[in-house]
Amino acid sequence: MSLPSDYRNEISALDREVKKQQPDDILQFCATFFQRRLESQRAEFRLSQRHANTPGMPASNFPGSNPFGNTAAAAGMASVAEEEEHDITSPTSASGPFSPTANNANPARNMDNNSSGGGGAFGNFGNFGFGAPASSRGQDPPASVSAGAMDHPQSFPSNYNMNRRTSVSAESLAPASADDANWKAPYYAKTPDQVARLRTAVSHNFLFSHLDDEQSAQVLGALQERKVPAKDVRVIEQGDAGDYFYVVEQGTFDIYVSSTGKAEAGPAGLGNKVATNGPGTSFGELALMYNAPRAATVVSTEPSVLWQLDRVTFRRIVMDSAFQRRRMYESFLEEVPLLKDLTSYERSKIADALETSKYPAGSTIITEGDVGDKFYMLESGEADAYKRGVDQPVKHYKKGDYFGELALLEDQPRAASVMSTSEVKVATLGKDGFQRLLGPVENIMRRDDPRKLEDSVDPLR
Amino acid sequence: MSSSSADRASYAAREEEKAKLAEWDPEKNTLEPSEVAADPGKKPVGHSSKYLRKEDFDCIKTLGTGTFARVWLAKIANASSGTGVAAKKNNNGDTASGAGNNAANRVFALKILRKVDVIRLKQVEHVRNERNVLAAVAGHPFITTMIASFQDNDTLYMLLDYCPGGEVFSYLRRARRFNEQTSQFYAAEIVLILEFLHEKEGVAYRDLKPENILIDAEGHLKLVDFGFAKKIEDRETYTLCGTPEYLAPEVIRNTGHGMAVDWWAFGILIYEFLVGQPPFWDQNPMKIYEQIVEGKVRYPSAMSNDARDIIGGLCTVDVTKRLGNVKGGAATVKEHPWFRNIDWDAVYHRKMQGPIVPHLRSADDTRNFDDYDAEPVHRDPYTKELYSKYDHMFADF
Ligand SMILES: Nc1ncnc2c1ncn2[C@@H]1O[C@H](COP(=O)(O)OP(=O)(O)OP(=O)(O)O)[C@@H](O)[C@H]1O
Repeated sequence: MSLPSDYRNEISALDREVKKQQPDDILQFCATFFQRRLESQRAEFRLSQRHANTPGMPASNFPGSNPFGNTAAAAGMASVAEEEEHDITSPTSASGPFSPTANNANPARNMDNNSSGGGGAFGNFGNFGFGAPASSRGQDPPASVSAGAMDHPQSFPSNYNMNRRTSVSAESLAPASADDANWKAPYYAKTPDQVARLRTAVSHNFLFSHLDDEQSAQVLGALQERKVPAKDVRVIEQGDAGDYFYVVEQGTFDIYVSSTGKAEAGPAGLGNKVATNGPGTSFGELALMYNAPRAATVVSTEPSVLWQLDRVTFRRIVMDSAFQRRRMYESFLEEVPLLKDLTSYERSKIADALETSKYPAGSTIITEGDVGDKFYMLESGEADAYKRGVDQPVKHYKKGDYFGELALLEDQPRAASVMSTSEVKVATLGKDGFQRLLGPVENIMRRDDPRKLEDSVDPLR
Repeated sequence: MSSSSADRASYAAREEEKAKLAEWDPEKNTLEPSEVAADPGKKPVGHSSKYLRKEDFDCIKTLGTGTFARVWLAKIANASSGTGVAAKKNNNGDTASGAGNNAANRVFALKILRKVDVIRLKQVEHVRNERNVLAAVAGHPFITTMIASFQDNDTLYMLLDYCPGGEVFSYLRRARRFNEQTSQFYAAEIVLILEFLHEKEGVAYRDLKPENILIDAEGHLKLVDFGFAKKIEDRETYTLCGTPEYLAPEVIRNTGHGMAVDWWAFGILIYEFLVGQPPFWDQNPMKIYEQIVEGKVRYPSAMSNDARDIIGGLCTVDVTKRLGNVKGGAATVKEHPWFRNIDWDAVYHRKMQGPIVPHLRSADDTRNFDDYDAEPVHRDPYTKELYSKYDHMFADF
């Protein structure tokens, strides 16, 4: 008979702790470990009992044996903190709706990302290992945390909101639709200084930091100036629909959050002032993703200048360039005889595995005799192929040409070297990536004619 | 008079349809995957009805509300003894729930959408997708069956099987988390749904979460809410949709996405089953998205290695490495060691006993559903202008 899986889980959890803590007194360590586990499991049991009576939840009707973790055999998991009283009005939610100024107030985000659950001795049994700041990790004596997570509800990861979650969606974006095939991103001229300031202002925002140079230039170009003529202008109002993202160019803005979720009438209706934003800060970035009610009210304190960008423009810029790049990759792939049996769905899948790299003029992209594991497609620029012992290039490549595709097939030495003659941008497809997604190229070619191989004349061979 | 004979003919057709509705029994009629995938016109369920009307149903209680839909527990109206409908017996009166054996007892979930709201929220395309996908997949053992759809002047209706167990979400929150076996059981049924949707139908579901998974009378799952489901032809799609905690990184980054988003969300779902909350969370949604695109999942220390491994495989930012999306598709997920003890054929044929079997007093028991506020009295009118501009888009609903 094999060991019960819950037992194995406990033991591997213990193994990890022992490895991490390297205790001297093994027996004591193990005894304490299981004692903690038991405590936390009991705590959990009490919790689940109480939850069954939570008002507002449908009546509990578990069949005779409760399928959940309240029997010894079922407690494979760590316990949790009791946090439901703190669910919605979190006292610790300093990471406000406007991220640039809010920094890491959420304890969960300060944690290490160690997949084994982090150090902190037994702390993680009380609170998933999320509870203590990274800096204090490992110093905690085992007993200090204990099942006492019950006493420290704030230490539970970010006061998880236990309510039903609503779906979100943005306007539908269909790049292929004929009516707006001629769409061009708007462009508003800016001084180099202004561009540089904008670049810095958005650099820490992950929506922007993932953009390539062209996208980023387009996005910055599309930011439009908006003058706020006076103080006390509400640029955005809590609870309203959100369509624009803003960067502050000049002036300062007060940010208010009302506990009712929207700006109310009356002098105190805006709620508490939570921050003041000056030049170089930004707000309202959630509007770049979808239309969600604004989480705060932003009011000018003096005549000011903002840059604004709306969601549809932002998403179109990013989408259109992704779309065009994919179509370009697919058209490259269509040209390659070796891959001509791919279905269009497979080609679109493979496009995910392509990576772009750039080489300055005069770089050696592949070297004759090396074992190749990548296939190259020239997105822009030109290159020449040379063979050892031949002075003249044996082949010239320009945009849309490809080379080295036999590398997808088998570990063959490259039959020639390829050098860039101008700055080039290439899309590369690794053999690994291809095989992960579609299996060996050989199988795809064998789909109808096993002799396909001979038709695919690689100029490098 | 010819008009009254036409009336009579349509009355008869309508009565016949109602009788047919009463006969469809989801628990008994699990179709094989190939039968489900068959031409919707040839299936017993999933058609667009020309005859059914709102008046054919009594709406008894709200089961749930979404952003613009309201789902009602409904019974066939006027199906008392003496009508042709009630006389028609359903030949399996012995289902697990002891479901009624005639039309008067047969219960449904009627999903009602106002055209004006659908248009206002720019969801016309999504609603059309929803109907078409539900029609295409009707009969699958773990997808809520759309028995028929119909419409009137200003409203769209989808007649669904009633799932009396309520949302997995409610059980999960109440239990705080599921143990490993329970999680595996539910996850296994979900894998079969995704396998079917992706590999038989070419459909990305795009809104996997415990709120959208219901439990039926026998304790098996039913996936509901196909509002974001989309047939992916041979190219990626871009519209951002889903639920914040469950969005895949490629959706957030807007680089084009496909069916792989469901495998990501499936990893989040397993994590939430086992842990009681999803791996990426913050009060500020932008911070959730930042964590998602970074993609570093942290696991509680007592989580089993197999569970970590499957979650990590599914929640892989690089889609070319994501479990489920790599060569082999759903089969690679089914072969994962975490599912070692699952007999997939038994799962599909509902041979396994579900960990939660709702205790029901009657077929129309709604104790597993929360109470919802009554529908707002004020409603925007579906004006002539809206009608002439948009109604053709609902033509085949
Ligand atoms: N077949 C059914 N049986 C029982 N309850 C159901 C059924 N279908 C839906 N419900 C309930 O109604 C709720 C809302 O339904 P659904 O999710 O389809 O609506 P929606 O408006 O599309 O939702 P959302 O805005 O969240 O996308 C479900 O979460 C569920 O609780």
